[in-house]
Amino acid sequence: MSQSGSVKLENVVKRHGSFTALQGISLDIRPGEFFALLGPSGSGKTTTLRILAGLESVNEGRVLLDDVDVTHAQPGERDVAMVFQSYALYPHMTVAENIAFPLKMMGTPAATIEDAVQEAAAKVGIGRLLSRRPGQLSGGQQQRCALARAIVRKPRLFLLDEPLSNLDAKLRVDTRAELRRLQRSLGVTTVYVTHDQEEAMTVADRIAVFMEGRIVQVGTPKEVFLRPANAVVAAFIGTPPMNLMPAKLAGGQVRVHGAGLPAGGAHGLGERDVTLGLRPGDLRIADQGIPARVEFIEDLGDSVIAIVTVGDQHMKMRLDQHAVPQEGQQVFLSFAPAAAHLFDRQTGERLPSD
Amino acid sequence: MMELLINSLPLLGMGTVTTLYLSAAAIVLSTALGLAFALCQLYGGLLLRIVVEIYLYIMRGVPLLVLLFTMYYAAPYAGMEIDPTTGGIVVIAAYFGAFMTEVFRAAVLSVPVAQWEAGKAIGLTGKRIFTDIVARQAMRVAGPAYVNTCIGVVKGTSLVAIIGLVDLTYVGRQIVERTLAPFEIFGFVALVYFLICYALSRLGKYLERRLNYVN
Repeated sequence: MSQSGSVKLENVVKRHGSFTALQGISLDIRPGEFFALLGPSGSGKTTTLRILAGLESVNEGRVLLDDVDVTHAQPGERDVAMVFQSYALYPHMTVAENIAFPLKMMGTPAATIEDAVQEAAAKVGIGRLLSRRPGQLSGGQQQRCALARAIVRKPRLFLLDEPLSNLDAKLRVDTRAELRRLQRSLGVTTVYVTHDQEEAMTVADRIAVFMEGRIVQVGTPKEVFLRPANAVVAAFIGTPPMNLMPAKLAGGQVRVHGAGLPAGGAHGLGERDVTLGLRPGDLRIADQGIPARVEFIEDLGDSVIAIVTVGDQHMKMRLDQHAVPQEGQQVFLSFAPAAAHLFDRQTGERLPSD
Repeated sequence: MMELLINSLPLLGMGTVTTLYLSAAAIVLSTALGLAFALCQLYGGLLLRIVVEIYLYIMRGVPLLVLLFTMYYAAPYAGMEIDPTTGGIVVIAAYFGAFMTEVFRAAVLSVPVAQWEAGKAIGLTGKRIFTDIVARQAMRVAGPAYVNTCIGVVKGTSLVAIIGLVDLTYVGRQIVERTLAPFEIFGFVALVYFLICYALSRLGKYLERRLNYVN
């Protein structure tokens, strides 16, 4: 079985009746890459994954694996393995039988199967659970069993559909790192669907951000975080997400609620209406700036999230424990010029900065 | 009283054998019909699905007794000479086959779609997915309702007495008319039916335990 696994989608369109789930998306995934498809529910990311698996057909466009057109190939002909959101373990089989099942169906000799099962189970740390049935496993163990069943075939492409969504918060964080380690050790091209941007940021080499059946940005987690392509991506990425507010550019400054503040990239853009984007961690309380009122304080232990109102708009800012204002207090907000993200008010597209 | 029962045992035994034969034959046939029609409903073409749907509505909407009378009295008018035993088995099987159809169809539909897709993803054919993955899980879901329907078949066979088949109920009625001891005889008949149905329900429980793969 090959293990290079480059993936190309070329102008893929998928319609369900009158609804267009994918509106001509194109993607280029490199061999061995951990690639995340990130977006809210209904944005088309799972449909894309299912198209890669061969579980859904396309209306237009092409799917290429290792530069071979597999657009109309059956799932079994693609040499891909998929881990479903529900894990889809066979409840009437033991863990060992579940892992062995794909190999058994391929007619692999029994001795080879046994070795492969032991190896796959050891890789995901369930070597001692092989005689149990899925109903006797915890959520985390079921997930590992599903992973083992997928990797046992040594596929060229590994597809994961929100594999952590059924786990509790702590286990999710632990499993994220585990998944990354497993993918690195296997070197298999992995496409990972999630709606949790923190998850995507921590595991992926690159991310494709989906919105309403379109890919709005592709880049490394750092690129997507530091330079969101448009206001929609900006509002989606980050915890808490970026604050967006209407502003005006004039004389190299950005004017918000009567306050004029310098912003990186404001020079040379002339006078225009913009959307100003500011990350919660980039806002600070100053002696002058944007007038605001502190509505609510969320104490996170190591830091606090202050919810403030600017005019009639709510914004969030992340502050250190030693600089916490009082609820109801009137304050001024400021930010470093380089921290300002400017987006065109009409199109939402990012404006070029210095 | 004991003497009466002992004297009646040969006849009651013969009736019991007939009831067991009718029940077994009707269960086998209704199971086959139920499976076939369930598969038609799930995977058949539009025309086939419509035909099965009509059959289901008729069978579930008309009492078994009326169906037996139709077979016994109306069939000869249509030039169909049907031996009552065969006719009884066919009618009971056709009637309960409709209920079995729903039992099997619901069981297959209860298996999550992801189970099909997991099979597809490794290149299995629809037939292989059905036999190796789906049917195994559907069996467990269908089990309790299937056993209940089988018990219904056993109790349903008691109606064939009305069309002159010498089953347990028919024999019981004959003995009562001769001995005028309804409590003793029908009490015994009821006990035999109870034991058959109880044995079936115990078998069902055993199979349920065997098929229970949750823990």
